Parts: sequence; structure tokens; C-alpha cells
Amino acid sequence: MSEHSIVVQNVSKRFRIVRIPKQMSLKEAVVTRRLFIRRDRDELCVDAVNDVSFTVRRGSALGIVGRNGSGKTTLMRLLAGIYKPDSGSVWTRGEVAPLLSLGLGFHPDMSGRENIKMSGLILGLSPKQIERRMDEIVDFAELREYLDVPLRMYSSGMYMRLAFSVAVTIDPDVLLLDEVLAVGDASFMRKCVEKMRSFEARGKTIVLVSHDGAAISAWCDTALYLDAGHVRAAGPAGEVVAAYYRDVSGLIVPAPAELISAVE
Amino acid sequence: MVYSLYRYRWLLYELVLRDIVLRYRGSVLGLAWTFLNPLLTMAVYTLVFSIYLRVGIPNYAVFLLSGLLPWLWFAGAISAGATSIVDGRMYVSRSVFSPILLLLVPVCSQAVNFLLSIPLFFGIAAIFGVHVGWPILVFPVLMGIQFLLVLGILMTLATLNVFFRDLQQLTATILSLLFYLAPIIYPLQSVPAAFRPFVFVNPMAALTIGYQDILFYDRLPSPVLTGYAFAVALVLCAIGRGVFNRYRDAFADYA
Repeated sequence: MSEHSIVVQNVSKRFRIVRIPKQMSLKEAVVTRRLFIRRDRDELCVDAVNDVSFTVRRGSALGIVGRNGSGKTTLMRLLAGIYKPDSGSVWTRGEVAPLLSLGLGFHPDMSGRENIKMSGLILGLSPKQIERRMDEIVDFAELREYLDVPLRMYSSGMYMRLAFSVAVTIDPDVLLLDEVLAVGDASFMRKCVEKMRSFEARGKTIVLVSHDGAAISAWCDTALYLDAGHVRAAGPAGEVVAAYYRDVSGLIVPAPAELISAVE
Repeated sequence: MVYSLYRYRWLLYELVLRDIVLRYRGSVLGLAWTFLNPLLTMAVYTLVFSIYLRVGIPNYAVFLLSGLLPWLWFAGAISAGATSIVDGRMYVSRSVFSPILLLLVPVCSQAVNFLLSIPLFFGIAAIFGVHVGWPILVFPVLMGIQFLLVLGILMTLATLNVFFRDLQQLTATILSLLFYLAPIIYPLQSVPAAFRPFVFVNPMAALTIGYQDILFYDRLPSPVLTGYAFAVALVLCAIGRGVFNRYRDAFADYA
């Protein structure tokens, strides 16, 4: 156990999707006599993550690939503790920093500096810790001269670099990155890779979700290929990504995905 | 939960600060609106109730303000807080701090507004020659009870609002009804004795009378009424906590 930083055992998460509009008004609910949701009539079940098990060693990076709706984001939220699994268990070592979307808490009228602060606070840092890292973050994002400019003046590339820099400089034990890699030009990407390598060298762990198979095979040691909530392939990143590409390019027709199973 | 809130106390501070600062950013008068809103309300109500309808209270403006300012905290926090989990859906589904924090933001920022409006009250009281004495020492107790009361109501309200969005419309209506049913624009004495027990169905009624005792009548609030207000706040907190914990795992799906 001690060499692992993430242990996921037989985890399942099922969403009950209510067929009627979610934001039904109270009046509608009473009039249509649907105040109480009846499972047989109103619900669809989606097994977003179905009996998934894997482990991640300390100091390594795991990539997760899969098509839209294959359960990648749900799995990330389970790792972050935002969702509780319906069955199975999720264990993570130390501090987990979820970067599940870029620029969470950013406000366009606030300056870069103020937004860095807010980002750090959301990730659980104290103002002192943020102040200590401020220089590093700003240098990494290459945005020193724009630090006190309101965020709405930033180009989209600058915005992403700023958001990304906060996450990679906070130094958690486990860093979760969901589709947040398309950040800027080749030189910035190279810096990100270097940052992650130093991360791993210090025994930290990264989990990376991406559609970009090339990024996964370049950055990660091992990978997981999810399909309809199941693990379809797991192992060395290159092989898993190759298997994923074979499926999506249609050279091998994948089995029809039983995505949605009505309970009726 | 307490540990999570303690860890994110700086986030709470920052969100409250933002809530206060951003509300007035771009407006010419800025924070002066904190004073202007209650002042204009006070002027109109004083005109209508003291001069047109002749509610027989000397220094009516001061009497009104002593109940109106706490009410503005209550109503402001409830109406902003009812939607706070829905409004904060980005946080709920993408970060790990307790959503209770999102409820505490409107409660705290409206509390700060309330505190900022207290100097205004003292100014008006001085103009009318109303003396505020040592009973003011009990003021923090009433504030504490009100804080619990608002938080308790919000835990239930904001949770239910995730599933039934039109509760926010209902909230606005109920708030305006409760305002007229609380003894804010009239004293409790003008309510016929037979109706008086019903006044206290309103969760803000006992607190309103307490604030008036301290700020207007220069006397200690009744221990019975204060204890009653405290008990109501605790019960609502217990209910709110139950409802919130029962449904919090579903927030990320629905919000």
C-alpha cells in the first residue's frame, strides 16, 4: 500500500436521471401529480463508472482516455471526493488538488493578482502560502507586466496560462487535471512537462484526463481507457492510447456501448 | 465539517469581501448605498406611518430604524442565500470545500452591511435625542441568535431550492409578508391582544422587539423572548442541518 498514492477498488457510480425537467416548478409538480418522483416511471439510470479498479504508484502520472460520456470526469470527481461512490472505495494519499476546470472562481473585473489569490484559496491554501508562491506563479505564467490588469483584458492564452500556473505551483500530493492541457504555445507546454517531471521526481502523483492521446503518451507512465464506465484497457500509456485510437478511428468496430439502460 | 470550514476560512473572508466590494463596484456612490437604502426607506415609512397614518410613537424614525436595520440583514441574507448553492454550482461540482461556505457568504456579508449601518442609526438617534445606554452590551447576543436563525433557515431553503427553483419566487413574497407581520413599522402594543401570539410565529418578531428594547427604549430585552428566539434558531438549525446533510451529495448532480 505504501508505494501507492491512489487505490481505487471496484468503484461504481450510478446517476439517476429524472426524465421530467429537472427544474420543474412546484406548481407544475402538483398539477401533473409528479411531486414525488416515481422510479419506475421517471428515472433513467446511467452507470457512469462501473466496477472500476486501479492503483497509481507514488511519483507517477496516470492518463485517462475515453470518448465523451465514458465516465472520465465522473471518475475524477470521485477521486477528488466531490462524489461519493455508490459502491467500492477510493483512497488517496495526502492533499488532493482538483483542477477540474480552468479559472474556477476567476472574476473578469478582478486583476490577475486577485484572481491568483482566489484560485489558491479555493484549492485550500492560506493567504500566506499564496503570497509565498506568488512570484513563482507569475513567473511560470509569464504574466508579470499584466499582474494588476483586470482579467477581462487578458487574451485567452494568457487566461489559461494564469489558471494553469496556480495549479502546478501549489504542490499537492495528488494533482487531478481534467481537460485543462490546451494551454498556450509549444514553449509553455514544454515548461509544463518539466514542471510535472519535477513533480513526479518528488514522489507526487498526477492524474490527467485528455482527449489528446499524444499528450497522454508523452506525459504519463500508465493509462486507463474507459468505455461506458468500464475499464477497457489499462497498462503502459503508449499501448493504451494505441488501443483507444484503434477504436475511435473505426479500424476495429467497438462493441455497442450500453450507455443508457432504462430501469423499466 | 467544522474542520473543512476552518481550513477554508480565508476563502470565506475573501468571498464575503468580494460580495461587498463587487456589489458597489462601478456605482458612483459606492458604499454610500449601504446608508442610502435604509435611509430612503426610513424617510418614506416615517412620512406614511408617522405623519399620514399617525402611529403614535414619538421619534418614530428612530423606532422604525431600530427594527428595520436587522430586518434588512435578515431579508438580504435570505433572498441572496436561497439561490447560493445553485449560483455556486461551479464550486459545488468542481471543488472540495463544504457548500455550507456558500451559505455563510450572504449571511456574513449582510451582517457586515448591518454593522456598517449602525453608525447611521446612532447619527439619526442623536438627531432625535434618543439615548442608547448600556443595554447595548446585549446587542452581540441578539446578533448571534440572528446569525444562527438565518443560517438555519438557509440550510433548508437553499437545499430545497436546488430541486425546486421557484422557491426563490416564493421566498420574495414570503419575505415581504413577514416584514409587515413583524412589529417593525408598528409597535407590538398596537396588535390586539388576541392576535399577539400569532406575531411570534414570525421568526424575526422576538428579535425585532429585542433590538427595539436595546436601541430605542434603552432597556434590556425580555429574557423570555430572547430565549424563545434562541430556541427557534436552534430548532431551525437542527432541521436545516438534517436537510442539508441528507441532500448535499446530490448537489453536484442537480445544481
